[in-house]
Amino acid sequence: ASAQQTIRFAHVDPADWQSSKKGAAAEIFRAIVEGETDLTVEIFPAGALGNEDDLVAQAQDGITQVVMVSGAMSRACAAASVLDIPYSFPSAPVAWEVLDGPFGEALAEHCLEQTGLRTLAYGETGFRNFTNSVREIRTPADMAGLRFRVQPIPLYVEMVEALGGEPTPIAWTELPNALATGVVDGQENPVGVIYNNGLHQLQQYMILDGHVYAADFLVINEDFFQSLTPAEQEVVSRAAIIAGNMGRSIQQWSTAQGVNAVQAEGMQVYSPTSEELAMFRDAAQPAVREWLAGELGDEAVWIERLEAAVASASE
Amino acid sequence: MARIDRIAQAVLAAAAATMMALVFLIIFVNSVRRYTTGESIPWGEEAPVYLAIYGVMFGTGLAYLQDRHIRFTVLTDLVTERLRGRLFAAMDLATAATGAMLLWSGIAFAARRPDRTASGLIGSARDLAEATGLPALEWLGRMGTWQAAIAVGGAILVVAALIRFALRLREV
Amino acid sequence: MLVYLILIAGLLLGLPIAFAILAAMGWFMATGEAPYHIRIVATEMFSGLGSYALLAIPLFILAGELMNESGITRRIIAFANVLVGGLRAGLAHVNIWASVIFAGLSGSAVADTSALGRVFIPEMEKHGYDRSFAAALTAASSVIGPIIPPSIPVIIYALIVSGVSVPALFLAGIIPGLMLAVFLSAYVALTVKVEHITPDPDLSGPSPREALLGGILPLLMPVFVVGSILLGVVTPTEAASFAVAYALVLGMVVYRKITLASLPRIFGDAMRDSAVILVIIAAVAAANWVLTYNRVPNMLTDWVLGAVDSQTMFLIAVILLFLFVGLFLEGIAAMLVLVPILHPIAVSLGVDPVHFGIIVIFNLMIGLITPPLGLCLFVAEGIAKVGMARLTRAILPFFLVEVLVLVILTFVPQIVTFLPRLLGF
Ligand code: NA
Ligand code: NA
Repeated sequence: ASAQQTIRFAHVDPADWQSSKKGAAAEIFRAIVEGETDLTVEIFPAGALGNEDDLVAQAQDGITQVVMVSGAMSRACAAASVLDIPYSFPSAPVAWEVLDGPFGEALAEHCLEQTGLRTLAYGETGFRNFTNSVREIRTPADMAGLRFRVQPIPLYVEMVEALGGEPTPIAWTELPNALATGVVDGQENPVGVIYNNGLHQLQQYMILDGHVYAADFLVINEDFFQSLTPAEQEVVSRAAIIAGNMGRSIQQWSTAQGVNAVQAEGMQVYSPTSEELAMFRDAAQPAVREWLAGELGDEAVWIERLEAAVASASE
Repeated sequence: MARIDRIAQAVLAAAAATMMALVFLIIFVNSVRRYTTGESIPWGEEAPVYLAIYGVMFGTGLAYLQDRHIRFTVLTDLVTERLRGRLFAAMDLATAATGAMLLWSGIAFAARRPDRTASGLIGSARDLAEATGLPALEWLGRMGTWQAAIAVGGAILVVAALIRFALRLREV
Repeated sequence: MLVYLILIAGLLLGLPIAFAILAAMGWFMATGEAPYHIRIVATEMFSGLGSYALLAIPLFILAGELMNESGITRRIIAFANVLVGGLRAGLAHVNIWASVIFAGLSGSAVADTSALGRVFIPEMEKHGYDRSFAAALTAASSVIGPIIPPSIPVIIYALIVSGVSVPALFLAGIIPGLMLAVFLSAYVALTVKVEHITPDPDLSGPSPREALLGGILPLLMPVFVVGSILLGVVTPTEAASFAVAYALVLGMVVYRKITLASLPRIFGDAMRDSAVILVIIAAVAAANWVLTYNRVPNMLTDWVLGAVDSQTMFLIAVILLFLFVGLFLEGIAAMLVLVPILHPIAVSLGVDPVHFGIIVIFNLMIGLITPPLGLCLFVAEGIAKVGMARLTRAILPFFLVEVLVLVILTFVPQIVTFLPRLLGF
């Protein structure tokens, strides 16, 4: 490749590296690639080039070369949506093992065929947790009758219904008002999102149930990747894996900080036992699995593949 | 041509008014319901946004037929009326060309995975398709239907600019 | 290079601004070196328009059209007339203070110019004012509209900068808006030689008491709309829909000036007038993508930070930059391009984000009255038909007054931050 080649790296999170997982991933990717090759890396943070769906489309067209996205990947490569099945991963290290192991590799290969985007590495957006302002939740029975704001995404509606709550799809921008006025009793988000947006001031209780694990996909346009020299490919691949891990670390850091901070500001945080978590899993998974299998059709095999991978990683 | 102009204006005005009314009604009814009964329509956020984009496209065409778009007139004010008329006629053609580009760009945009679902709309669209027995209505929940707005706007702009051009040729 | 040629030639030869930008972008995407793609133009237009918060714009414009049709505008003028019409050059003061009241109902300066201009420009001429002075004063005072809440630019600003809330910015605009009115009034009092002018009986209504009472229902609207936003009960978009509903009830039920049959025309006009602004926003979104992709914002930031090291220097540079940009760019478009770049710099230099927001909005609203591209100027000229050259000369002193207010606001931040602080934002 020529010495002037530029990698445009786009994502939708803030640019700073101390608190933004994708921001941190992009920075270390640039540092490594620029340090060890003649490639130039330009970072486009905070959705400067568009929302996640736009970014995926641009990477597919080679307008950008590298993008780091979460939810948009499953819209481009449906099989990736199996990761959203609630209570699939008992812990983050298990998720890392699954995604960094054969399952993650197979999924990456499948998505490469589907999209022309090579998944270089996985980062994470984090586990999502329920909060509410009515009562402490320890088991699904405590959720009965509570109105939860969900993203307007069918999978989340299915999940909250299966747990006995009342899902109310509300746009993100309307959420603080809806919580303040009691239009909904609760919501669900990663801890960092809850804390950074002050939602803990509007909510009394949080359960660290980690119902959905959201992964980040660090992907590169395949044609561009193939145009690199083997040496450059090696550096780019390695930098991406380090970047994914950096993203995970920053995410873990902000979650741990956030859990402490919301408690310091008066929120009651509950860590469920493994028995209680099993009750959540048994309530939510069958309905969502069935619904998702219908959506995926032929690709529903990925559900079993994921379950097998999680089982072997949890051993 | 004056008759074509009248018809085009009437059609675009009716379409723009319909979009404006729908945007207002959906937002108003949805907010009132939320604060009274605590319920909200799942498509209450997305539908008005997309309807408004169509509204902007109809309104853009209508505003063109009525010469209401914002343009610099500092230079064009300096020339004779006759020359200005000719200049604006040339700009009508330039606008038609821009409209054609927009049509092209809009088709490329809408044709890229048009069946991608609009997350807030798809559920209700499927229910509607089932209830009416018209499977085509499911497309109300797919992005292609809404993304096509830009292409529609491009086509409208071509027509509006050509009508304006024909009329202006008579004026100058 | 051809891209700039298309853009500049298009703009100068009278191609509508939105289409000049789009033509240049289309050319760039179609002929530029790979990897550009023509699809980007439509994609970015669609995302530029695809926001719920942006819907406040057509809704507030619709509310404005309904208020015009329902005779509310005349009631406002009569109300202002009772308050300040008796002063020397009374009609000029009424023009200014009617804008203040109108500001509480409308979020857009253009709506103010077109609603009040239709009444004031002919009326002031009838009373011996120079027609171009009347048009200039109308345009200049309409700038108050988007400073005092509700305000479309504020809504868009809060959309661009996360972490700055609409209620805080709304509160912050109240004192600057009133201050601008006081300064404009003072200028009129000091310079206008026209002796005590009593407005037409047509304008003042039957009696002061009736005029004041007649203003109550319209004036309840801003209290209700802005109040509910400030209390956090509704979002600005929802509030805009309530404003429409309120104007509909006033116009159709209370004043009976609006008939069911006229609604399609009013709704269509509102969508059309919104489209004129929103299509520019969409075109700028496409242009923004290209600028961002080519890292123009980053280069600008580096350049600014390299040249500027103190808050004062930065704020002066910002004022000059926005005054310059305001000459050529529509206010909202300019905000969409520049705020994402300048806000982080302002914060890093320790400027209060709410203060900075008001400076930017005030600054760009001044751009509405500066040629060659000043929307309010265009609208005023559309009514007055005195020619842009005459209108430009007439607007100059008002422009200077507004810049003076801006400078004071910039260097006495307490004027801006006092109210939001007081109410805990
Ligand atoms: Na206002
Ligand atoms: Na005025």
